[in-house]
Amino acid sequence: MPGNTGDRTRTSRASRAAAAAFALCAVLTGCSGAEDEATGTDGTVVLRYTWWGNQDRAARTEAALDLFEKKHPGIEVQTSFSGYDAYKQKLATQAAGGDAPDVMQLDYRMIDQYATGGVLLDLAGPEPQAVLDTSEFDQGLLGTGRIDGRLYAVPQGRGTETVVYDTEQWEAAGVAPPRAGWTWSEWADTMRQLAERTGRPGGTDPGQSEDAFEVWLRGQGKALYTEDGALGFTADDLTRWWTFTDGLRREGAVSAAEQTTQMDGTVENTPLGRGTAVSDYNWDAPCSGFLPLIPSGITLAPTPSGEDGTPGQYFKPSMFMGVAADTAHPEQSARLIDFMLNDPDAAEILGATRGIPVNDAIREDIAAGLTGFDRTMYDFHTSLDGKLDAPPQAPPSGDSALQTTFARDYDQVSYERMSPREAAENYVTHAKAELR
Amino acid sequence: MTTAAPTTTAAGRKPPVNRRRVALHAGCLAALLVMLYPLAWLLATSLKPADEVIASLNLLPGTLEWSNYETALDGVNDVSVGRLLSNSLLIAGGAVLGNVLSCSLAAYAFARLRFRLRGPLFAFMIATIMLPHHAVLIPQYIIFNQLGMVNTYWPLVLPKFLATEAFFVFLIVQFMRGLPRELEEAARIDGCGPFRAFRSVVLPLTRPALITTAIFTFIWTWNDFFTQLIYLFSPEKFTLTLALRSFVDASSQSSFGPMFAMSVIALLPIVLFFLAFQRFLVEGMASSGVKG
Amino acid sequence: MTTTQTSASLRRPERPAATGARRPAGRRREGAAWVFLSPWVLGAVLLTLLPMAVSLYLSFTDYDLFNPPSWVGLRNYTQMFTEDPRYWRSVAATLTYVVIAVPLQLALALVVALALKNMKRGKGFYRSAFYAPSLLGASMSIALVWRALFNDGGTVDNLLGTGGWVNRPGWALLAVALLTVWQFGAPMVIFLAGLQQIPAELYEAAAVDGASRWRRFLSVTVPMLSPVIFFNLVLQTIQAFQVFTPAFAVSAGKGGPADSTLFYTLYLYDRGFVASHMGYASAMAWVLLLVIGAVTAVLFRTSRSWVFYAFEGDDR
Repeated sequence: MPGNTGDRTRTSRASRAAAAAFALCAVLTGCSGAEDEATGTDGTVVLRYTWWGNQDRAARTEAALDLFEKKHPGIEVQTSFSGYDAYKQKLATQAAGGDAPDVMQLDYRMIDQYATGGVLLDLAGPEPQAVLDTSEFDQGLLGTGRIDGRLYAVPQGRGTETVVYDTEQWEAAGVAPPRAGWTWSEWADTMRQLAERTGRPGGTDPGQSEDAFEVWLRGQGKALYTEDGALGFTADDLTRWWTFTDGLRREGAVSAAEQTTQMDGTVENTPLGRGTAVSDYNWDAPCSGFLPLIPSGITLAPTPSGEDGTPGQYFKPSMFMGVAADTAHPEQSARLIDFMLNDPDAAEILGATRGIPVNDAIREDIAAGLTGFDRTMYDFHTSLDGKLDAPPQAPPSGDSALQTTFARDYDQVSYERMSPREAAENYVTHAKAELR
Repeated sequence: MTTAAPTTTAAGRKPPVNRRRVALHAGCLAALLVMLYPLAWLLATSLKPADEVIASLNLLPGTLEWSNYETALDGVNDVSVGRLLSNSLLIAGGAVLGNVLSCSLAAYAFARLRFRLRGPLFAFMIATIMLPHHAVLIPQYIIFNQLGMVNTYWPLVLPKFLATEAFFVFLIVQFMRGLPRELEEAARIDGCGPFRAFRSVVLPLTRPALITTAIFTFIWTWNDFFTQLIYLFSPEKFTLTLALRSFVDASSQSSFGPMFAMSVIALLPIVLFFLAFQRFLVEGMASSGVKG
Repeated sequence: MTTTQTSASLRRPERPAATGARRPAGRRREGAAWVFLSPWVLGAVLLTLLPMAVSLYLSFTDYDLFNPPSWVGLRNYTQMFTEDPRYWRSVAATLTYVVIAVPLQLALALVVALALKNMKRGKGFYRSAFYAPSLLGASMSIALVWRALFNDGGTVDNLLGTGGWVNRPGWALLAVALLTVWQFGAPMVIFLAGLQQIPAELYEAAAVDGASRWRRFLSVTVPMLSPVIFFNLVLQTIQAFQVFTPAFAVSAGKGGPADSTLFYTLYLYDRGFVASHMGYASAMAWVLLLVIGAVTAVLFRTSRSWVFYAFEGDDR
């Protein structure tokens, strides 16, 4: 320490400065401690609940939570939300720092990682199970949150993929609308026809989408991942898919690489959103974003099936709720989940903001009250109900990395820097390493 | 300015000087036109309706959509814009104070005082500028979490009080090295210790560097989305920069119009801060001119 | 500690000040130096050294953020150098970016600073106006503006007929670099401040000697400004190697098209936070650190021949 050397006056001055520096730290550390208490002074339990979404979802969630706090006076819920990408990173940092929120919204792709990483509580355990009722859930969907027999997350809503199109333009082109159960080759022909008659690509090049590839694979009776989390397809399968989409791109039937690359996850930046294609391949819920851009209206069509009619489409849990393994309040956390998923009043407020509810009774309850795009989505789901195979289990941890790799490797194909075969082999090698 | 030598010469040489000046201004204005075009685009977009925000290739909106601002001014997550603004100001203000204090202290030691290991420590300090901050993000988070500081402003402000931004230490060191040593020698002969010499002689002369530090710190802290995202959890602690991200979400409908409006709102305080300080920058420079 | 200090003061017996009366003062200043340094030392240990040590350790492990790290030796490093073609693409993109963005930005900042230096009227206005873009950072909104300007049929395409920039490999990197160059406010202000510190007498003396404007620039401005030029060069080079936000914003985090703007830290972020390979990301960070260190060392070495510290007395 500097104070130990030098003469006396310097010593006192130096030590005073040093003391001030340390006092500052002490104050800083001390000040913050009090705020982190999970229990309020009056014995109120404070739950942290984080999720991703937009302003509309925020408003509805806040309203529902007000109701929750009214019904459960001893519990106070602090919420926080942001866009998906920001949320994902923040949650990962929090979880890694041992600071996961009590209740968190999770994506399909996060579950395996968070569950095997010990972040999530088993919701079928005694404490949560006493208050969380899952009896009215679609059991196939519920199973997607289960790993090794433990229930780590409960699905909140379901979504499904769709070929969404500009109704007016499609009709004006005089092309027959998609029929239920159309095949991938019918889809390809339709894209060609649309391109021919409208002078712009029929749809987004689906080659970059791992989700689209999964639907195509399932149509052939295969899957992205095997049950034990290994790769469920070969480089040959992927080569065929990319050769198929790359061919359509070269013909101009689907969007050019320069258009496809501009997609950033928002519907606004898809070729359809920018007005440079007639249709898009997307999840159903985000499609509401097309409405302000295409005021004349959009239609949701099912995704193509395999050539023998095997549907590749499935209902995917659009998001889950999970509880932190180290929460101080497992019972209250489970109660919050139960409220969000099973309470009729909450359901009325929340509507379809997190996808069409998975609680069968709730789903029928809210149907009458749905309007606008929620209604469109509900009808689309109804048209598919009973025709689809059960969803695959949650993808293995490595998948969240592979999703971006998939798009990047296809970029190499669509910018004609690699052949489909080369890129597919690269991807499969990489994926196998990732899933080790 | 004493540097304008040509003005001291005969009147006959004035016209070319004026022409030069006109050309200089014309050049600057032309450059500005190009430079500020994207800003005009930003402003214009904040008034565009949803269907024009992304797809439109025109600078000016077809119809003026003032509701973008109404939505933005409603705040985010039940938190008012005023609150977001004061949060941002608190963090940026704390960061400015911290950086100016701690970096000038450290810089003085490096630039002017002798101590063991000065060379290696200086090299280490420079090395920390090179550290990609993603690499230390998780360890730092764990430390702050251990200290119970997550979801407070301390992780955003405390590092500035500990001179972790070596960039500014280096900046101030460079400036101090350029100051004439004779002033301090004189002060020392007058009986000033290093603390007095620092406070009364060196610090005033370093004002331009300190103001530069203040301006950069303010702007960079204000725009530092990443750190704020990681450490802040409660909506009522959110900043304007953080709130911006709540308008865009890939899994649902985004509100690009209001986001642009919010961007403009978030820009205003930095513009004001810069304009205010830029005056001091001039003063600071003029008054501290190194006359020897 | 006391012994070494004494020896330190003994090492400069040639200095006239080191008389018996002055020696306590030297020791006193050693103590004072540590007081001045104390906040920095605390920060360096707690927030830099410790996290760095952790990250160095992690670079030899497999760490997915959730499960405890497991030791893998040099595997991350060998995988990076021999099995990851995307890694090398990111290295190439980063080097290209450094070579394009740094000289362009510094040149522009210096030219504008020189133009404003002797301006009598409107100096404050111009300085603020030229700084304005730098106030923005690389927010999402400015990224969207950039994409609109540099897209097919965007303003740049219309004016220059180049086609879209942001959506074509080869051009996209240039568009991102221009975003950085456009925000040249920070080096400009530093240049201006440096120019302000050049004693007017030097110019007067040069004018008396009959030196031309250009001559005065070369013999007064350049040497006197050299520490500041050097400072800007080092800083901007380091920052360019670490470039993240502009590319992240403009390419929506993808580093596209076709990996052409997948800069090093973008890929590092992708490996660490998207793919949850913190060990691999840490290894990448350490390689980057060493490379930047080497480049900076080279810059410092060359600086001896061209950087001139006006009042440097007894240093080095």
